[in-house]
Amino acid sequence: MSKAIPQSVTNLIEAFSRLPGVGPKTASRLTYYLLRAPDELSQTLAAALADLKSKTRYCSVCFNITEEDPCPICQDEARDASQVVVVEDPLDVLAVERTGAYTGRYHVLHGAISPVEGIGPEDLKIRELVERVQQGGVLEVIIATNPGMEGDATAMYVQRQLAPTGVRVTRLARGLPTGGDLEYVDSVTLLRALQGRHEM
Amino acid sequence: MYIEHLSLQNFRNYARLEVSLPTGPILLYGSNAQGKTSLLEAIYYLATSRSPYTTTDRQLINWNADPDLLAFAKIGAEVVSAFRPLSRVEVTLVQEPGALHSSLNGSRLQKEIRINGVPRRVMDLIGQINVVMFLPQDLVLVEGAPSERRRYMNITLCQTDATYCEALATFEKALTQRNALLRRIADGEARPDELGYWNEQLAQAGGVLIAGRQRLLRDLEVKARRVHRDLSGGDEDLELSYQPSFLPTANNSGQLSFQVLGLDLNRQLKASDIAAQYVETLEARQGEDIARGMTLIGPQRDELRLLVNGRDLGLYGSRGQARTAVMSLKLAELEWMRDAVGEWPILLLDEVIAELDAARRAYLLDRISGAEQVLLTTTEPDIFTPEFLQKATRWHIRQGQIIMPQDGSG
Repeated sequence: MSKAIPQSVTNLIEAFSRLPGVGPKTASRLTYYLLRAPDELSQTLAAALADLKSKTRYCSVCFNITEEDPCPICQDEARDASQVVVVEDPLDVLAVERTGAYTGRYHVLHGAISPVEGIGPEDLKIRELVERVQQGGVLEVIIATNPGMEGDATAMYVQRQLAPTGVRVTRLARGLPTGGDLEYVDSVTLLRALQGRHEM
Repeated sequence: MYIEHLSLQNFRNYARLEVSLPTGPILLYGSNAQGKTSLLEAIYYLATSRSPYTTTDRQLINWNADPDLLAFAKIGAEVVSAFRPLSRVEVTLVQEPGALHSSLNGSRLQKEIRINGVPRRVMDLIGQINVVMFLPQDLVLVEGAPSERRRYMNITLCQTDATYCEALATFEKALTQRNALLRRIADGEARPDELGYWNEQLAQAGGVLIAGRQRLLRDLEVKARRVHRDLSGGDEDLELSYQPSFLPTANNSGQLSFQVLGLDLNRQLKASDIAAQYVETLEARQGEDIARGMTLIGPQRDELRLLVNGRDLGLYGSRGQARTAVMSLKLAELEWMRDAVGEWPILLLDEVIAELDAARRAYLLDRISGAEQVLLTTTEPDIFTPEFLQKATRWHIRQGQIIMPQDGSG
């Protein structure tokens, strides 16, 4: 960076640049916007950032991000504790919640198996899931990892680990997007949909 | 099949080009480094999503483009096929934001593909345009490393077989993951029982690859042998030999379909049979893979050899024999692709005519005379016969511009 820019400005630009989806241009724009904006904005932002790490933790039951332990979903007696949806990331919990149709609980793995990125099963919350099932009360584990190679590898590994417990293990169906056009669906998706067809 | 319109933007030394292409032969002539080959390269890129010359797409972007702007290159074409309505394919290469300050070759490019204006995957692009390209460098098919011949089989099959192409992508991804896992196991960071899933993925996709190559080579061999016999005056017998890194056998007969020379091309194996044996072999040789930190068997290690009169051309052949064999193989590929897609692919001949003697030049031009569209580059248009020049559209290429002759000026 040029000498014309004070160190504290450079620091923030570089910090922003390390965020996903932010390039050097966006980082500069955000920084100079904050410089011109009222003090209150940067103070709120700073406080929010500080709270983000200090006030949150993993839920000791489902490993979702939470401020109180156990998390609100795990505490909610109205939710069915016998069903557990297993997802890769906390954002996936939100996605399933948006359907409004699921009334069971969750388990967040925090990633998927990917040897290239150095992520093995022991880096995920798989052992914790097996322990949770062993403690009893869970009748069905619904695996909702992403439908890619890494997600599938994770699903298969989880299924094998759970097999000795005798719990029912299911996997989300894959197939055609609603409102889609058959002609434009790629052949792999169509093949899966064909394999996963059901009686009507 | 032919291209009706080609547009380039910041591609190589073309700042901007909009041109309508006639059918029949198009002869591109001019001095070196003027942009003749770049036109062929652009078409090849639209067909296969890669360049025949460079391994980093970054080099495709115009080096005169303003360095302060986001670097990008755009190739588009309107394609006419007997089986589809006019389709418009377009590839845009954009330098990823944030990568601006990294080294030129290391920076990543985003590839955006549109077919008839709709964003699509690379996989959907391949096969929209079918091409066969003849290059002086094709000699590596005989003389080069085994990887060159695997690449050749992969690109040829991908153009006509979407299942093969999907399997190739899956295979390469699973292979990278499995190799990384092997190294983690060797370092004590993972356990061998984690290999199961990757073995399965590798074998499923690998079975499709080996079966596909077997089918391709059986057809290519018949056709290439005929051409080679013509070219060598009946003296030489060309054979293609696929040498797998493990021995798949036909399931029912229980008989080895593997010969000393390679896979029996006439006894087609089923992808699922190959996959089952592939998994078994992967499990049996797991220790070796872990020790070496890489997957030692599979289509990524298989070999294709060319033999003339039973002798390995790569080891014992002369330069002349190698040239003949390559031309036979390329003409066989052309015929094969025409059979596979039901119409002539677009032909791209880069400087190859000048390298041939008069008899072979005549033979080659005769074999391709039925093609709907042929693009040829040359520095010396005089080597072509007057009859050929009569039929051909001649374009003079100078500094990234096409100079079209006025009527009658020749």
